[in-house]
Amino acid sequence: MSGIAAYSTVHAAGADNLTSWQAILTGCSGLKPNTLAWCGLPTWIGEVAAVNDTALPADLDAWDCRTHRLAWLALQCAPFRQAVDDAVGRHGASRVGLILGSSTSGIRSTEVAYKHWREDGHWPTDFDYRRTHSLDALCRLSGGLLGLRGPMVMISTACSSSAKVFVMAQRWMDIGLIDAAVVGGVDSLCLTTLHGFNALQLLSSEPCRPFDSARNGISIGEAAGFVLLDRDPAAVNLMGGGESSDAWHMSSPHPDGLGAQAAMRQALQVAGLGPQDIGYVNAHGTATPANDRAEAAAMRAVFGADAVPVSSTKGVTGHTLGAAGITEAIVAIQALEQQILPPSANLAQLEPRLGLDVVMQPRRAELRHAMSNSFGFGGTNCSLVFGRAR
Amino acid sequence: MALGFVLHAAGVLAPGVGSLAELLDLHDRRRPAVTEALVLPSPAVLPANERRRASQVVRLVLACAAQALATGRYAPDELRCVFASDEGTGEVCKLMLEALVPSGQVSPLLFHNSLRNAPAGYFSIAYQNHLPAASVSMGCESFAAGLLCAVSEACTSAQPVLFLAYDAPLPEPMRALLPIEQATASAWIIESAPETAGNHTAVPSPARLSLGRFELSLHGVGGCVDPAPSWLPSAWAANSSARAFEVLALLADGRGSCEFPLGEQRLRVALVEGAAAC
Repeated sequence: MSGIAAYSTVHAAGADNLTSWQAILTGCSGLKPNTLAWCGLPTWIGEVAAVNDTALPADLDAWDCRTHRLAWLALQCAPFRQAVDDAVGRHGASRVGLILGSSTSGIRSTEVAYKHWREDGHWPTDFDYRRTHSLDALCRLSGGLLGLRGPMVMISTACSSSAKVFVMAQRWMDIGLIDAAVVGGVDSLCLTTLHGFNALQLLSSEPCRPFDSARNGISIGEAAGFVLLDRDPAAVNLMGGGESSDAWHMSSPHPDGLGAQAAMRQALQVAGLGPQDIGYVNAHGTATPANDRAEAAAMRAVFGADAVPVSSTKGVTGHTLGAAGITEAIVAIQALEQQILPPSANLAQLEPRLGLDVVMQPRRAELRHAMSNSFGFGGTNCSLVFGRAR
Repeated sequence: MALGFVLHAAGVLAPGVGSLAELLDLHDRRRPAVTEALVLPSPAVLPANERRRASQVVRLVLACAAQALATGRYAPDELRCVFASDEGTGEVCKLMLEALVPSGQVSPLLFHNSLRNAPAGYFSIAYQNHLPAASVSMGCESFAAGLLCAVSEACTSAQPVLFLAYDAPLPEPMRALLPIEQATASAWIIESAPETAGNHTAVPSPARLSLGRFELSLHGVGGCVDPAPSWLPSAWAANSSARAFEVLALLADGRGSCEFPLGEQRLRVALVEGAAAC
């Protein structure tokens, strides 16, 4: 167990913690039709508009890329920075670890540079692969900005990346390697994921509708999020995480969600809780027909039919891929803080066969424990359980 | 503080090197370095439809893992997995860009092979392994970061962990950005060592012979990557995964230690007991 000392979240529907939560709570979607100048796909996207007006300071120019601008935006959160400074002061900079997740990191910068290479036969002179596209760049930039000197690593397991960061951080605390950790994740819009999911016929041409009878695919979003975990308990705590592999297929889930079941059960076991203790699940809920069906089957198997309130907040944020884990973990944390269950946005007609108690309107609740699910290509699964202190 | 771990089995794959024994021969200069690219077998462990789709990096990982698994002491589905690589996708990155940038037309197959965790996904399918798998990276410090993650997982889970450190060659023009010219990979089956793991002890069966007992510790100040030892071919200089060979080569002498930068610190890996003593 570790305490949630502070967090910062930025996504399409909110560029700070408060506006993000308000949008999630009211189901106010940040999705809009794709008008990106560099991608013509007829889909809806969760773009963080502020990225386009953000620049890194001049001395960090070599690190400038869309992913790092998103990270920069999230790291402007003053209370989060103050809490990190306090943790560094209390534990020492070398005792605060840094574990971040991303699926495609700064690949957008290589996509742009590659266009130049094709046209000019050489890479642009100002293109710095190591400080933009290379996965470790996000860790090094964030660690430098936060003044951390502890062990650092990037996790890249598709859409579970920034959920698994919590589990690794807890391990490092459990073996005494660190006393606190900044965990998080960032993914930005890029050709790779927009066209990749399009090729798999998984992109919706409308705003995504998790758990709806007429759901027909995902809307890709971008986001950045960071959480400061501390050995000392707090008002809300990470109770435990569970991980598993489907060992089934590279790009579709096991139909009964066997891997998802294993991740959820293990998370409960680590947290020392039973299914009846969970008062809310923030589902992975991507809005593809197969994903939602498999996750529903898994939740029915673990909790029973209609037994636990569930929502997917991807209708507000879009599927933020490598940043989905951290974005939705923060939603679960905010639900525990506010004692309100956020609704599943864009839901017109709940698919009855799913057998889920889907939250349709914000619901007041006495919430002690909440779960957040993140599942990814390659059959990678991670479930996290957070709890409010008595 | 030090984290103890036992290395039970190891696989090594690089041009001219097809086993741990051959790596130790290279270290002792009983075996010449070769320049020909590694020819990787089609992974027979995969179902036929998946085998066709396996990229070079997936073949590299599966072939290297197969060596470590060949001892037969561990069932492949009882191993937790940590996979560490720098760029991680090899030729797939170039193929993706070549498809995306002019036309946006990408094959679904290419897209899922472009994921950093594709080798982990294929491994889990090949061996029906349902345990957790992490794919981690830290640039030229990927081996050090990955080993720390793998040993941490062994210590906290009290279960054996398969650790894979690998780099697949990058084609031009990607190679101009990151000069990974040849494939290098090693596979480690590790467990936490009860003598040194404090409260987080695993108890490996005494019947399971091991190659050596190591200790891992973090200290000091990071800084530049030390030059690779002269016995490592210069063609592997940019490969983070080739630094794993330095640690495995400690087995030749039965003792010694290596240090690698990891962020603002250094990771020290010391061989505490070689095979004879274990």
